[in-house]
Amino acid sequence: MIAELLALVPVQRAGLGLLLGAVALPPVGVLVVGLDIYPVRFAIMHVALLGSAIGLLTGTDPLLWALALCALAGGGLAPFATTSAGLSGAMGLLMSLAIAVALLVLSISGVNANGAFELLWGSILSTRPVDLVVLGVLAVAIPALFWWRRGDLALLLHDRELAACSGVRTGPLTAALLVVIAVSIAAAIKLTGALLVDALTLLPALAARRIGRGLTGMVVASVGIGLVVAVGGLLLALALDQPPGPVLVLLAGVIALLAQLSPMRRT
Amino acid sequence: MNDLWHVTASSLLFRGVHCRYGRHTAVHAVDLDVPAGLRVALIGTNGSGKSTLLRAVLGFQPIADGVVEVGGVRAGNAAQWRRRRAEVAWIPQLRSAGRFPLLLGELLDSSGHGEAARAAAERLGLAGVESRGVHTLSGGQAQRAWLARAVGAVAAGAGVLLADEPTAALDFAGQEEAAAVIAALPVTVLVATHDRAVADACDRVVEMAAGRLRDVA
Repeated sequence: MIAELLALVPVQRAGLGLLLGAVALPPVGVLVVGLDIYPVRFAIMHVALLGSAIGLLTGTDPLLWALALCALAGGGLAPFATTSAGLSGAMGLLMSLAIAVALLVLSISGVNANGAFELLWGSILSTRPVDLVVLGVLAVAIPALFWWRRGDLALLLHDRELAACSGVRTGPLTAALLVVIAVSIAAAIKLTGALLVDALTLLPALAARRIGRGLTGMVVASVGIGLVVAVGGLLLALALDQPPGPVLVLLAGVIALLAQLSPMRRT
Repeated sequence: MNDLWHVTASSLLFRGVHCRYGRHTAVHAVDLDVPAGLRVALIGTNGSGKSTLLRAVLGFQPIADGVVEVGGVRAGNAAQWRRRRAEVAWIPQLRSAGRFPLLLGELLDSSGHGEAARAAAERLGLAGVESRGVHTLSGGQAQRAWLARAVGAVAAGAGVLLADEPTAALDFAGQEEAAAVIAALPVTVLVATHDRAVADACDRVVEMAAGRLRDVA
């Protein structure tokens, strides 16, 4: 039965999307953990909802609007990134403003709000070629960014002042990371839905934190866990004939829990 | 070790420096000249403004009023602050070990002269632990690591060492060892300390009290 399902084009696209997401998104979770900006997912989720509403209003692709607005929001947050407390406050403000404007846009346009709110649930099996292109770009760009700037990133994520003392341009690098995080979360929402976006971002990173050593070790471990979650979760969902999103989250959650219960590496 | 030094010590100047946290003035009208090559110990009770003054040199604490110069140069824009931070070797006050795993080797390499920093780490008893996370080091080991990093930064060209209680977590032998390492660095030193061994190794001792500075010796 699984073989038959895997022969279907929507399932193949979903599988490819999950594989690309498993390479691109867990390192983003590592950034979220490292920058200590866990609420960023909620803020970006609301901005993506606003983008979706504008897309529905204008009759253009909601995903592209969501990506563009999230990129702007990520860049806009950068000036508040001197402290994580500053970022948290800014993200709270962004979240409230974004959802308020989204609701106004939907109200003014008379568009059925359900279309915009579908973003919250996601739909892996409705993955389109354009979604795969976005995820493919991220799957190349994000690991490349980590490899290219691994030294600077390790210092910045550990301690902003140490990074500054070591010649790292902390401001531009933080801004770039916030844009990457925002765009990636917007892209991930398409796969798992906003409510389950942690499955491929935060949970693999949290598990990898217990397993990997240093930034490079964590990124490699997070991608490995992401691949296990993506492949295992999709196959399990198909076998159980259940929606993939919740199965992915549960699998990722179990792995994160097991990693949490394991003794932390000391060396 | 001295083969590595191609360093010119830089002067350090504070003129009318004020630093504030909201309405509280933590540093009040501080004037201090530290000629190139001089070692100055900054003593004072907790909360007297020592750390704030040191952090102001690096731009981590905004200066509400006054001027700080290193090597006769002020810092204003981002590029000037980057040059300032390359000019200063920094040992921060011991604190929680960062929010994200960093390997000791990465900390040492961040000095700009990994070879000198690793050699110093070896002399300070940290041989063979470069692949350990900084967060797994004891407080004393972490302070030795930062001291080794400062040696690397000096080897990379820093002309000033700013150290904020660099021996607070060390045992007696470690305190003397650290004081000797700091004294051997051919740079200008401003060190906030409660440690007699470190203060004794300095040329001048100044005291901060309630944000104001006065000479002790």
